[in-house]
Amino acid sequence: MEFFMDTKNNKPQKRSAAAPVIAASYIGPALMPNRHALWEENELPLNVDTLVNEVMGQPMRRAGRFIKMVACGGLTCLQGVTLDFLKGKKTGIFLASGLGNVDEILPFITEVFKHGGGFPSPNQFANSVSNAAAFVLAKICDVTGTVLTISQEELSFEAALWLAQNYLEDGDIDLALVGGCDIFTPTVDEYRERLNLCLSRYRPLPMGEGSSWLLLGRDDERCVGEIFVVDFADGEAGPDALSATARAVFERHVRPGTDVKRIFLPGFRINTDELDFWRRHGWMIDDYLPCCGVHSTAAAFGIARVLRETPGAFFMHRNAQASGRQAVVFGATKKR
Amino acid sequence: MNDGGIYVRGWGAVTSLGWSAPAAARRLIAGDVEPAAACTSSHLVNRAFKAYEVAYGGHPLDKATAMLWSALDEAFAMAGLSAGDIAESSLFVGTTGGLFIRNEYEFTESVRRNPDQDAPPISCRNRGPGEVADWIAAQYGIRGMALTFSMACVSSSHALVVAADLLQKGKIRRAVIVGFEPLLNMTLHGFASLLLFDDDQCRPFCAKRAGMQIGEGAAAVILDRDKSSSAKYRLCGGYQYNDIKSMTSAGIDGMTVCNVVRQTLTDARLSAGDVAAVKAHGTGTRDNDLSEGRGLVKLFQEKLPPVISLKGAVGHTLGAAGAVETALWLSCCEEGMIPRSFGFTEIDPDIGFAPSQQNIPARDGAYLFTFFGFGGTCTSYLILKG
Repeated sequence: MEFFMDTKNNKPQKRSAAAPVIAASYIGPALMPNRHALWEENELPLNVDTLVNEVMGQPMRRAGRFIKMVACGGLTCLQGVTLDFLKGKKTGIFLASGLGNVDEILPFITEVFKHGGGFPSPNQFANSVSNAAAFVLAKICDVTGTVLTISQEELSFEAALWLAQNYLEDGDIDLALVGGCDIFTPTVDEYRERLNLCLSRYRPLPMGEGSSWLLLGRDDERCVGEIFVVDFADGEAGPDALSATARAVFERHVRPGTDVKRIFLPGFRINTDELDFWRRHGWMIDDYLPCCGVHSTAAAFGIARVLRETPGAFFMHRNAQASGRQAVVFGATKKR
Repeated sequence: MNDGGIYVRGWGAVTSLGWSAPAAARRLIAGDVEPAAACTSSHLVNRAFKAYEVAYGGHPLDKATAMLWSALDEAFAMAGLSAGDIAESSLFVGTTGGLFIRNEYEFTESVRRNPDQDAPPISCRNRGPGEVADWIAAQYGIRGMALTFSMACVSSSHALVVAADLLQKGKIRRAVIVGFEPLLNMTLHGFASLLLFDDDQCRPFCAKRAGMQIGEGAAAVILDRDKSSSAKYRLCGGYQYNDIKSMTSAGIDGMTVCNVVRQTLTDARLSAGDVAAVKAHGTGTRDNDLSEGRGLVKLFQEKLPPVISLKGAVGHTLGAAGAVETALWLSCCEEGMIPRSFGFTEIDPDIGFAPSQQNIPARDGAYLFTFFGFGGTCTSYLILKG
């Protein structure tokens, strides 16, 4: 089967098998795990310590906000199965973040550049190291194998998901905890600049944050859905080509005559014209971004949310980088 | 990764020893190595820190870009890749700082240009570590998968092992692994705040060692499943591991290091006796060298092959270390000699061996590469020569 991203050169030699999803969770700017709540961009970021106490059962005093969000997001996902579920299984952790620990980097570098010499904090520097969050989550989960921190701007989550799917398929791991976390860091204007946003390149929506996770692996009883395909293309491929691919994926994975909703999840670089295109082609639009705001790994929020809340659906998530590279994720949620 | 292996098709590196990997290798073999020195780059605010800085006449942002393109151009040329070959490659970048240098450079420039005004707060406008891959893909027209590993000191070594895994599984056609770390105020001050610098000298495995010294570097390594006529080196085993016992140490009893290397040998279907030499991580910090030294002794026992750390010559290039040290090592092999380990004067009885103190012929065999980083990260791989 030919997918739309198999343009001239970037076709992988082998495609990955579908990855079953055992659990999914999402946390957005309101810091309410798996719940919808109102939030305002100008009040962000909210204090995360209540969430930490709720999820972790104790404070994380020396950790920065990014690390807390990663830990809370990962553990919220695992609440669906309990930590014991991981025992005896080879588990991989794939943490995706577009911007990482900016919350720690900024105050640290401000101290470095302080006129007359500041006092850069060693704890802040340690927290600012990019894989500190993955270490904390791995320690909580007692995971010692594959623990990777992956960053690919606004396609970070898709890149991590692609890698996790490959590791699962080949039996390198039994379970993959894959998440996307990015946090709101002032100022809003600089935050937009960090995401390379300008009006022509994204839907104008408030900036947000989130920590959203999927647990992938084979468990027929707990399965809430599947990730069929994660793939990438350059800027040449448009919605027409994608539509043919979506049809092919649908026909391959969904039995004929099955009553399923087809849901399009638009990333923040997908413009409103394209939303109309998918509506015209019979897709429902699940615009999840007003719930989580724009952030590099918002795709994780959208995909986790549809997996939890929309049973019996075939879904497609699409987003792109400002440079044109794009990613698409196809999956389905189980009927309940 | 034991099924035939993956071929190293080309490499390139820019370090304090020069703007190409062969040039650096020749200096290593000749012993023409300068100690770390106070840095001159205009964006660095504290000139007291000694580091291994890449020499360049222009401004630091230009230098960072030039380092990246130079390493990649060198690697592509050695691999003999056409524009079409490059386009169908996948890209694996290892970096911690990414293009953070832009923030530091813009800030220091704005202060320099406005001497009568109060310094503004520094802005953080870079787009995260993944921005480097986006730059490279745009520059060379790379259309394959792009993945950036931001995992402290194992960033590019992990990238290399993951890329080799994906090549072995047939998921990608060719991999370009890049390590990139310009000198940053952030890392210089950061490691200083952790009291991890040796102000005098980087002395891997030495009893007098007192810490690390940072190096600046960019490097690229090209891996391919297909054996090209020029490919003499084969990556035959690799292992990545996450040690959750400590965020900052691989365990001073050496067990973690021993297990990681043993697993790598198993993956490659080789035995300890097949290892011709060890390119150790050897940072010069008390704990790293103790963990690594004890781990190597535990595994190899009385048959310990020559152990060499390159950090006494080029410094610790952090996330770029995997790509940089692989490129330099392979260029040394091409020159026919493995260089001595610089910065060593006295055996540490707790480690029990001296790293190699003379150049040795680069004989055919397996070369072991080890890297250990913050956050419990461990990478190890084997490259076969001949």
